[in-house]
Amino acid sequence: MKRRDFLKGVAVAGAAGVVGFPGIWTQRKAAWAANGEIPVGILFSLTGAVAVVERTLHDAALMAIEEINDNGGIHGMRLRPYIEDPASDPATYADRARRLVLRDNCISVFGSYTSASRQAVLPVVEGRDNLYWYPTLYEGRECSRNVMYGGAVPNQQQQEFVPWLAENFGGRFYLIGNNYVYPREENNVCKMILNQIGGEAVHEEYVPMGHSDFSSVINRIRQANPDVIFCTLVGDSDVAFQRQFHAAGFDPEQLPVASLTRSEVEVKAMGGEAAAGHFSSAPYFMAHDSPENARFVEAYQRKYGSDQVTHFVSEAAYFQIYQFKAAVEQLAPSDITATNIRAAAVGQTFMAPQGEILIDENLHTHLWPKVAQWDRSGQAKVVLESQQRIAPEPYWAYEGQRCTGEGLVTS
Amino acid sequence: MDAFLNQAFAGLSMASILLMVALGLAIIYGAMGVINLAHGEFVMLGAYSAWLLQTSLGLGILVALPIVFLMVALVGLLVERGVVRWLYHRPLDTILATWGVAILLQQLVRSVIGSESRYVAGPTILDGNLVLGGVVMSNYRIFLIFFSLAVVAATWFLLKRSEFGTKLRAVIQNKEISECYGIRADRVYALAFAYGAGLAGMAGALITPLVSVTPSMGTYLVVDAFLVVIVGGVGSLLGTVAAAGMVGEATAMFSMLMNDTIGRIAVLLAIIFLIRFKPMGLFPDKVRR
Amino acid sequence: MNRTFKTDCIGYALFAILLLVVIPWAVSFDGFALNTYARYLALGMVAMALALSWGYAGILNLGQAVPFALGAYIMAMHLKLQASAHMPGGLPDFMGWTNVEALPWFWQPFHSLPVTLIAGIAVPVALAALLAVFMFRGRITGVFVAIITLAFLVAVQLVFIEEQRYTGGQNGLTGLAPLQLLGWRVDNYSTQFYYLVAVCLMTSLAIGLALVRSKVGLVLKAIREDASRVRFFGYDVARYETLAFCTSAAIAGWAGMLYVLVLEFASPTYMGVAFSLAIVIWCAVGGRESLVAAALGGIIVNLLEGRLSDMFVDGWTFFLGALFIVVVLVAPRGLFGLVQSAVRHAGKTIRSERGGARARWLATGMGARRIDNGGR
Repeated sequence: MKRRDFLKGVAVAGAAGVVGFPGIWTQRKAAWAANGEIPVGILFSLTGAVAVVERTLHDAALMAIEEINDNGGIHGMRLRPYIEDPASDPATYADRARRLVLRDNCISVFGSYTSASRQAVLPVVEGRDNLYWYPTLYEGRECSRNVMYGGAVPNQQQQEFVPWLAENFGGRFYLIGNNYVYPREENNVCKMILNQIGGEAVHEEYVPMGHSDFSSVINRIRQANPDVIFCTLVGDSDVAFQRQFHAAGFDPEQLPVASLTRSEVEVKAMGGEAAAGHFSSAPYFMAHDSPENARFVEAYQRKYGSDQVTHFVSEAAYFQIYQFKAAVEQLAPSDITATNIRAAAVGQTFMAPQGEILIDENLHTHLWPKVAQWDRSGQAKVVLESQQRIAPEPYWAYEGQRCTGEGLVTS
Repeated sequence: MDAFLNQAFAGLSMASILLMVALGLAIIYGAMGVINLAHGEFVMLGAYSAWLLQTSLGLGILVALPIVFLMVALVGLLVERGVVRWLYHRPLDTILATWGVAILLQQLVRSVIGSESRYVAGPTILDGNLVLGGVVMSNYRIFLIFFSLAVVAATWFLLKRSEFGTKLRAVIQNKEISECYGIRADRVYALAFAYGAGLAGMAGALITPLVSVTPSMGTYLVVDAFLVVIVGGVGSLLGTVAAAGMVGEATAMFSMLMNDTIGRIAVLLAIIFLIRFKPMGLFPDKVRR
Repeated sequence: MNRTFKTDCIGYALFAILLLVVIPWAVSFDGFALNTYARYLALGMVAMALALSWGYAGILNLGQAVPFALGAYIMAMHLKLQASAHMPGGLPDFMGWTNVEALPWFWQPFHSLPVTLIAGIAVPVALAALLAVFMFRGRITGVFVAIITLAFLVAVQLVFIEEQRYTGGQNGLTGLAPLQLLGWRVDNYSTQFYYLVAVCLMTSLAIGLALVRSKVGLVLKAIREDASRVRFFGYDVARYETLAFCTSAAIAGWAGMLYVLVLEFASPTYMGVAFSLAIVIWCAVGGRESLVAAALGGIIVNLLEGRLSDMFVDGWTFFLGALFIVVVLVAPRGLFGLVQSAVRHAGKTIRSERGGARARWLATGMGARRIDNGGR
C-alpha cells in the first residue's frame, strides 16, 4: 500500500514535471459547490515528527470520506477532500489552513493532533467563521465557537479514572509528562482530584518533547516509591519511557503506569510485552466490542493493511466526518455554510464505534470514557466502563467558568 | 549515596549512547571537515535496518549488527560518492548538502516503509538488572557501555595500527603529498565516510530497544553528537570519549539536582563556555595541518 | 566601487519593482495571496539579515532564529496584552491558568506600542551584542561560531518552553489582538498590510546595502577573507564583527515582529533548529554574497515549498531535499552566482569582483601570498 503510494507519487511527479511545471507558479482555485462537490480540508501532517500519529488520522478521515462518497455522497453531492501537509510545524499549519479556508473555500477543515497546531489554526478559522474539526483529546479550557472538539477533555478522562486508581493501587501518584500545556493541565486536574479524595502527588516533572533517555526519571521514581505513575508523555517519549521502565524491572501489579495519552499506536511501537498490565483511560479502544467498531476496524484494516491499528484519535477523526455528514444532510444545498453546519450539528447523536455520542451545545462531544488494561498482544481489555455518557466540561477545574452555547460564561 | 551512584550510572549509560553516535561523526568531521547533518539519518537507517532484519529474517539485533553496519556503510558510501566528495574544498557548504540528504533519506523511509513507529525487540539474554546494594543497573545498558568502549578501541586500532589508518592520517595531514606517494586520497575519504556512517548505523540498531523507531528519530541526536565532537576536539578519539562522558554525567547530575529541562540548558551553557575558552577541544590535536 | 554601486542599484530597483508592483499585480490583490507573500517577505528579510553576517563577515550564525523569535515574541506580548485588557488584572489567559497572580515586570512595558516597536529591535540587538562580544573577543571563528550559536539557540528555546507561565510554553502566544497602528487597525489580509511588510523589507535592505557599501563593509569582507591580517593592520576585528552580528540581529528582530502580524501567533518553533537551519539554506540558495539575492532566496524557497506541497502532497520533501543538494553541487554561490556568471557569459563584464578585489588587497597587503579562504 505504502509502496504503491510511493510509486504512484513518483509517476505523478514525473508526469507533472513534464507537463505542468509552469503550474507551480499559479494558484489552485476552486469554486465551492459549483459542480456538486462539497469541499472539505484535510490537514494532518504527513511529514515531520507528528506524522507518526497524524498519518493514521489522515487515513481514517479519508476512509470515512470515501465510504460516504461510495454510498452516494450527501444529497447526491460528493465530498471533495483538499489535502494539505502541514509538516508538523505550527507556522505551516497556519499557512495551509489559510489555503484551505481562503483559497480552496472549504466549508470545514478536519485536522491536527497537537494543541500547538490547533492554536495556530484558530485565528484563521475564527477570523473567517469557518469550522475546524479537531479529533484529539486535549486539555480543555478552550471555548471557541469555530472548533468542533471530538476528543475527550480532562473531566472525561479523569473523573472516574483517578479515584479508581487511588482505590485499587493507592493514592501516592508520580506525575510525569512532556513539557507543554496538555500534561500540565491534566496534572493540575489530577492534583485537584487527588486533593479531594485524600491522595497526593509525590513528584511532578516534565521532560522536553522528544526526550528519549529516562534513566534519571526512573531513578527518581525508584526513590519516590509511588503507588501509581500518572503519565502524560506523548509519542516517542512515551514509547521510550515505557520500554526503559519495563526494562528496569518494575512490576505493573505493584506500580502501574496510568496513561491518558497511550493508544494502540504507541503500544505497537513499544511492544505488548512492555505495556502489558498497565492502564490507559480513553473513550475508545480497538478491542472494544460493538458492531460499529467491528465494522470500522474491519474496513480500516482491509484498506490500509491488517497490521494497522485503530485508536482513540483515529476513531474520532473517522466519526467526525460522519457528524459533518449528518449535519450537512439537514441543510438545503443552498444553505451549506460553516455556521449553519455548526447549528445543525449541535444536539446531534451518532452511533460511533465507542457508543452513541452527542455533540454538546458547547461544541465538545459527550463520550463514553473507559479504563483499559493492556495485554501482551498490544490490545487493551476494558476493565472499567462508564455507566453513562459523560458530558464534556472544558472548564471543569475552574470554578465560575463554563463553556456554553454562547461561548465562555464567567459568573 | 545510592541515588548518586544510580545517577552516575545513568550518566555513563547516556554517555555510551552519545559516544557511539558521536564517534562516527568525529571521524567524518575530523578526517574530512565535513559537517554531516545527515548523521542522525544514518542512525535512523541503522535502526530501520535492524527492524528490517528482525521482521523479515528474524535476526536479533546483536546478530544483525555486522549486517547493519555494512548496510548503512553502503548508504554512507553512496552519499559520499554522490554528494560529499564534491565539497571537500568548501566544508561549510556540506551543512546545506547534508541537510538536503537528511530530508531525502527521511522522506525515502517514510514513503517506502511508512511513517508509523516501529518496534524492535531487545536481546533477551540481556534482559534484567544487576543489583548491587541500592544500585540497580540494567544489563543492556551495562552492555552498551562496554560495547561503546570496544568500538572506540577498534576504531583506535584501525586508525593507528592498520594500513588504512596510516593512509588516512597521511591524507588528513597533507592530501597532495600523500597522493604523490600513491595513496588514493578519494578512496581513503570514501572509506572513512562509509566507516563513520556504519558506526552511526550500529548506534541506531543498538538504541532500538530503548526508544521508538521513527523516520524523524535522528534529528534529536545530531545536535548533541555535534556538540560532543566539538567539545572533544577535532580528530581526537580520546577527546570524543571524554566529552561524551562529561556531557552524559553532567546531564545526569544536573538532572538530579534540578530537572531534565534545566539540566539540559545548563549543559548547553557549559558547552558554550567550553568552546569559547577551549575552542580546540579538550585534547587538541598536536599535529599541524 | 561606482560600477558595483550601479549593479546594486539596479538589483535593488528590480527587487523593488518585483515586490511593489509585480507580485501584487500577479496575484490581482487577492487577500489570501497577499498574506501568503507577506509571510514569504518576512522570511526573506531574515535570510537577508543572515547574508549580512554570513555572506559579508563570514560569521555563520546557526542561531539566526533567536533574534527573529525574540522580535516575534515581543510583538506578540504587546498584542496579547491588548487582547487581555478585559481579563481580571489585564492578565493573559495562560498566566491565569498557571496561577500567576500579577503581570510580571518584564511584561509591563509592552502595554505601550512605541516601547514594543523599539524593544523588538533593541532586545535582540542587546542579546546579540552580549553573545558577539563573548565570542569575538575570544577570536572564535568559523565552525566554532556555528556551534556556539547553535547551542545557544537550543538553550534559548528550552528556556521559552520551560517557562510556560511567562511565555505560553510549547503553544507560544496565541489569541492575539490585531495591531492598532496610529489609529489604523492592521488587517493582515489587506493590500496595505502587504505594502507595510514590503516597505519594511526594502528599508532594511537599504540599510543593509548602505552598511556593506561603506568602509565598514569593506573591512568586513576583508575579515571574511583573512581576519588575522586585518587585525595586523590595526583594525579592531571583534568590533566590526560585533557590528555585523548586531545589525543582522536587528533586522531579524524586525522581521520577527512582522511575522507575528502575518501569522497571528508566536511559537517556540520560530527558534527551532529546523527553522534556523532553513534560514541558512534560503540564504545559500539565493546567494549569500548579495543581500538582494539572499532575500530572494528566502522568498523563492518558501514559494517553492508552498507550491510543491500543493502539487505532490505525498512526497514534496523529496524535491526540497534534492533542491538543496543540487544547489550546492551546481550553484555553490546560489542563484546569485548563476545569474552573475550568465551575465558575464553574455559578454557584459560586470566588474563586481572589484569590491572583492579591493577587500583582498586590503587583507593581503601588497603582493603578499595567496590567501586561503577555504578554511576550517
